[in-house]
Amino acid sequence: MLTGTVRVVNRTGIHLRLASEIVKAASQFRAKVTLTKGDLTVDAKSMLGVAMLGAEYDTELRLSVEGEDEKEAIDTLTGLFENNFGREVI
Amino acid sequence: MDRERVEKEEMIFSGIPASPGIAFGEAFVINIEDLPVGDEPIRAEDVEPEIKRFEEALEQTEKELQDLSRTLEEEMGREHAKILDSHILMLADEVMRAETVEMIRGEGISAASAFHRVIEHTLRTFDQMKDQYLRERSEDIRDVRRRVIRNLLGQKIEGLANLRKQAVVVARNLTPSDTMGFKRKYVLAFVSDIGGSTSHAAIMARSHGIPAVVGVDGFSAQAKPYDRIIVDGISGEVVLNPTPETERLYRQAQERFRELETELLTLKDYAAVTLDGRKIELSGNVENEEEIDDLISHGARGIGLFRTEYFFIGRGTLPGEEEQYKFYRDVVRRIAPDPVIVRTLDIGGDKIAAWVDDAPEANPFMGWRGIRFTLSRKDIFRTQLRAIYRAAAYGPVRIMFPMVSVLDEVLAAKAICAEVVDDLQRERYRYGENVEIGIMIETPSAVAIADHLAREVDFFSIGSNDLVQYTLAVDRGNNRIAYLYDELHPSIIRLIHETVEAAHRNKIWAGLCGEMTASAGVYGTLLLIGAGLDELSAPAFLIPEIKKIIRSVTFDEARTLLKNVLQKSTAQEIRAEIDRYLKDKRPELLEFVPHAGA
Repeated sequence: MLTGTVRVVNRTGIHLRLASEIVKAASQFRAKVTLTKGDLTVDAKSMLGVAMLGAEYDTELRLSVEGEDEKEAIDTLTGLFENNFGREVI
Repeated sequence: MDRERVEKEEMIFSGIPASPGIAFGEAFVINIEDLPVGDEPIRAEDVEPEIKRFEEALEQTEKELQDLSRTLEEEMGREHAKILDSHILMLADEVMRAETVEMIRGEGISAASAFHRVIEHTLRTFDQMKDQYLRERSEDIRDVRRRVIRNLLGQKIEGLANLRKQAVVVARNLTPSDTMGFKRKYVLAFVSDIGGSTSHAAIMARSHGIPAVVGVDGFSAQAKPYDRIIVDGISGEVVLNPTPETERLYRQAQERFRELETELLTLKDYAAVTLDGRKIELSGNVENEEEIDDLISHGARGIGLFRTEYFFIGRGTLPGEEEQYKFYRDVVRRIAPDPVIVRTLDIGGDKIAAWVDDAPEANPFMGWRGIRFTLSRKDIFRTQLRAIYRAAAYGPVRIMFPMVSVLDEVLAAKAICAEVVDDLQRERYRYGENVEIGIMIETPSAVAIADHLAREVDFFSIGSNDLVQYTLAVDRGNNRIAYLYDELHPSIIRLIHETVEAAHRNKIWAGLCGEMTASAGVYGTLLLIGAGLDELSAPAFLIPEIKKIIRSVTFDEARTLLKNVLQKSTAQEIRAEIDRYLKDKRPELLEFVPHAGA
C-alpha cells in the first residue's frame, strides 16, 4: 500500500466538477484508492463519496492506494492535485 | 361550501427582483422536495426483481441525463452541460449501488426506499459542511435522487413542459432541466427560493419578459398548488393568498406598469436630454453578448459597463488572448459607433462569493479584488489589456479599472497599458489608438482623493453599490443590518456630488454604473441628474424609465433640488424633499416612486 498527502489548492474546493475528475482518474486503475479527511475515509472511485468529503480550499487529504498498479495510481492522483487539475491557480 | 373554507392568511415575502412586471395567478409548484418515501417492505420473492428494477431506473435516468446534456450543450454551450457529467457519474457510483442493493436484500425494502435512505446519509454529511458553496452542491445530489425515484415510481419529472394552463411557477430552484420545453404563454411569473439576479431562472425570465422574483427564502415550502400569488418583479415582493384589498392595489400597480411600459418604449429613439437641453449619455450594463439585443431594443447608446468576469468564471481555464479578443471585438463591432466601456477583471469579493463559491478570505470585500488582483497577476492583466486594445481597432473603446483606493494603483495600471500598446505596435498588431482610460469610484478613499485621481485619468464612473456598502459599512446580505443600506443616505449624495465636482474641475467627465437608478428609482435618478453626471449606465430594462425622467425635468431644477438635498441630515428628509419637489413641479413622475400604490 502507498500513502501520501495532497492539498486542495483550488480556491473553490473540491466541487462536483473536480470530484468528477478525481473519480474518472481513480477509476482508470485497478488499485483501491481512498481519500481521507479527518476521520472520514471515502472511496475515490465513488462520486458521492468524493463529493461528501466537502474538501475546501487548503484542506489536506490523505491518499491511500493499494493494488497492482498502485505506483502509477498514486502518481497520477498526486499529480492531479499538484497541478490543480490543469486549472490555473488564482 | 366556499363559505366554510378556512380563509388562508395573507403572507408577504420579499426576494430579489429579477425581471420586472407584476403578475397574478395560481401556484404551480415544481420540484417539491423529494416525494415522501417511507420504508416500504417487499416480499422475499420480489427482492431480485426489485434489484433489477433499480438497475433499470439508474439506466433510464442516465439516458435522460445524456439527452439533457446534449440539449443543454446545443443551447448554452459545453461549459453549461459539464455539470451534468457529475450527475451521470453519481449514477455510476459503485459504492452507492452496492449499498442500495444490500439494503434492498438485507432489509427487504423497496428500491425507492433503500435508495432514498442511502442518499439521505450522504446528504446529512453535506449539511454539516462549513463551506457554503460545497454545502449547496447537495442540491445536485437531491436533483439526481429525485430523478431516480421518479423513474422507480414510474412518474415523469414534473418539468414545465407539463404545464397546461396559466400559472405562477414556484420552485425551490429552477434548473435548466425544469425549464426545458416550457411554453411562454402558460408561465405568468417565476418565484424561486434560491438564486440571484444572474441565476438561470433570472436570465431566462428577462429574456422572455416574464416577471420574476428569486431568492425568496422558504417560499416553495409555504406555497401550495393552486394558492393565489401576486409577483412583483419590480419591488421583489411576493404575496401569498392576498386579501381582496391587496389584490386591488396590485391591479392598479399592474395597470400603471403596463401603460408606462408602452409609453416608455416609444421613447426608444429619442435622446436623453433634459427640458433645458442638457444631454446625458445613457448607456447599458452588460455581461454577455446575448444582452446586447436587449440593450439596443431599449434605446441605450453604448455600453457603460461591460463586465468581463463572465468570461473568466465558471470555466476550468483562463481565457487566452485570442479568445478574449474575439469576444470583445464582436461586442465592439455591434455597438460602434457608440462607445464600449470595458471594465478590467473585477474578480474577488462578491463575484467569487456569488458565482464560484465562498472565498477563503475572511473579508473578501475588503480583500484581494479588482485592480489589486490584476496588478498582482500581471500576466492575466496584460493578456486582457492586449485583447481590449486589439478590439479597440473596431470601434470606440474605453478601459476602466475597478476598486481603486490609492493613486499608485492608477499609475501602475497606466504604465502597463503603455507597455501593452508598445508591444502591440512592435508586434505589428492592429489596435485602438485613442482608448480613454478611466477608473471606477467605489471606495470612499477614491472620493477623498478624487482631485488627484482626476489628473491621471480620462473619466470616472461611480460604482454606487460598492460605494454605498463601503461608506455605510453595511453588508447588504446581512439581514440584521440590511435596513441600513440606503443609497439616499446623505453621505452618499455628498460623495457623488464631490466626485462629479472633482471630475469637472479637472475637465474630465463622470458617469455612474451602479444600481442606484434601479433601487432608488426616481429619487436616485433625479439627484444624479442634479449632481451633473455626464453619463448613466443601467440594466437595459431601466433605460426607458431613466430616459423618461431625464426628458421630464430641467437640469436647472434638478441642480436646485440637489443643492437643497445636500443640506439634509437623513435619508428620510431627503426623500421628503424630493417628494415635495415632485408633487409641486413634476407630479407625472410620481409614477416612478418605488412601491407607489402597492
